[in-house]
Amino acid sequence: MSVTEEALQTRTDPSSGTGSEPAARLRDLRKTYGSVTAVDGVDLDLPAGAVVGLLGPNGSGKTTLIRMLLGLTPPTAGRVELLGHDGTQLERALPDVGALVEGPGFHPFLSGRDNLLRAAACEPRLDGDLRVPVDAALERVGLTDAARRRYRGYSLGMKQRLGLAAALLVPRRLVVLDEPTNGLDPAGTRDVRRVIAELHEAGTTVLLSSHLLAEVEAVCTHVAVLAKGSLLVSGELATLLASDGELALTVDDADRGLAALRAAGFQAYRRDDALAVTEVDPPAVVAALVHAGVGVWEVSRRRAHLEELFARLTEEDA
Amino acid sequence: MTAVLERTHASLGRVVGAEIRWVLRRPRTLVVLGLLALIPVAVAIGIAVAGRGGRGLIAQVAGNGFVLPVAALGLALTLLLPLAVASAAADAVAGEAGSGTLRGLLVAPVGRARFVVMKAAGVITVAVLAVAIIAVVGMIAGALVVGGPGSLITLSGTTLGVGEALGRIALVAAWTVGQLLAVGAVALAISTFTEHPLVVLACVLGGLIVFGVLGAIPALDWLQPLLLTSGFGAGTDVLRDPLPLDGLASSTLRALVYVVLGVGVTSWRMARRDG
Repeated sequence: MSVTEEALQTRTDPSSGTGSEPAARLRDLRKTYGSVTAVDGVDLDLPAGAVVGLLGPNGSGKTTLIRMLLGLTPPTAGRVELLGHDGTQLERALPDVGALVEGPGFHPFLSGRDNLLRAAACEPRLDGDLRVPVDAALERVGLTDAARRRYRGYSLGMKQRLGLAAALLVPRRLVVLDEPTNGLDPAGTRDVRRVIAELHEAGTTVLLSSHLLAEVEAVCTHVAVLAKGSLLVSGELATLLASDGELALTVDDADRGLAALRAAGFQAYRRDDALAVTEVDPPAVVAALVHAGVGVWEVSRRRAHLEELFARLTEEDA
Repeated sequence: MTAVLERTHASLGRVVGAEIRWVLRRPRTLVVLGLLALIPVAVAIGIAVAGRGGRGLIAQVAGNGFVLPVAALGLALTLLLPLAVASAAADAVAGEAGSGTLRGLLVAPVGRARFVVMKAAGVITVAVLAVAIIAVVGMIAGALVVGGPGSLITLSGTTLGVGEALGRIALVAAWTVGQLLAVGAVALAISTFTEHPLVVLACVLGGLIVFGVLGAIPALDWLQPLLLTSGFGAGTDVLRDPLPLDGLASSTLRALVYVVLGVGVTSWRMARRDG
């Protein structure tokens, strides 16, 4: 885990204009509600310009972590630094932060557009005619046609889109999206993916909390996995997946091969007729088999999918 | 543009403007204001149907149209006006928290101190409009249905001209707003502790009833100066000549204390409340 954390901290993104200073820094962050510990000593950096996927089973503390990051609830202990501001100054960072947290919140009796106009009036970074940024944000999330309908009549997907539009009212330095694809149809999911790609291209840091691992794998540069309030792993997605890969081997005698590998101290197991080894050093694995007189027909390296990594991490913990 | 980039909060004027627009577009506000307008109309119709006779303030309205707005305000202040203002205060914080819009405002960020100013502006707007509607509709209904000599016959039997009569009505309206702001400030404070607007309404309604009961128990006379409701009757003083200011002044002072307490608790709580 220390390797991956190092990878996360040393990463700089060329598309980011803010250099290597992370967009957010969490240090030994802790939150307890009575006897329940929601977040338990999390250290995490959000590298500037990165798209960080925040993963974890239900109740693992993702939303609490995000709420502390945004200053919506104070940490019981530890420190949050957001865009260079921390502690009581945290609010100074918020004009440059867009957020969709715990689902979209709007007034049912106003139209989507009027809801956004009300939100826009409170945005410090907006000046002049508020209808311009509001209409642009509606266009960006594909809600122009429904903009003048009452929020009450919106479908779940339209509500999510409006929440996303509110987060995008101003060009942000950090956008926090908590389950943005909840209730969206495939087209909506694609739109969210496109918006995240656009944000990434513009150098905006994105924190995306999601249950859809394929989604995270498709758009994120980094991941952080939470379970029971603790950070299990964090780092660059590519590094994590490569280090979690395994070696698939086809041999002439699987039983003898398995015994030989285990005797040599490898973590090996049967997969159908083939063998799988948690990757360490491919030549050493093959050498061990050859020494034992087992014929090796085929060796392939399998890159893990996020789904497997996630399952392994969270199951280990359980 | 640099100025915009350095700004940490949107201008207070724009935020308050957006809040007042929001309050006035909320269907509940409009329904409540519409219902309040019916109070003087109902009283006027009642008098027109019943004709002269009877006793008390309502009877004074007969043939004396300028008394109608004062009587209607006094009637509404016992329950309906406080509930209208409490409902605005309930929606202001508890309602926003319940609909998930509070965190949006806090993340914008509005600023927690400015949030209190913005919400207070919304409650004040409702209080002023509610009183103004009853006063204006009361005057119109008084002139149309009850009619009158174009002057105000006071409870003391003297007659005041149109100018002074209007002044008296303006005075009782301003005084009523003051009493309502006390209710609104306390309701706003309660509103910061919950995300259910009904809790706020129930507390204010319960509070008014308890205060009324306590005020009616002779053994608890010493409580009177503490109870907001014990000054609610002072409004009819504007119908006396010469104008006695003791009751109006002491009840306004008491309301002010409630406002300070309510706003203080609201600010204290909003500085800490989770969004």
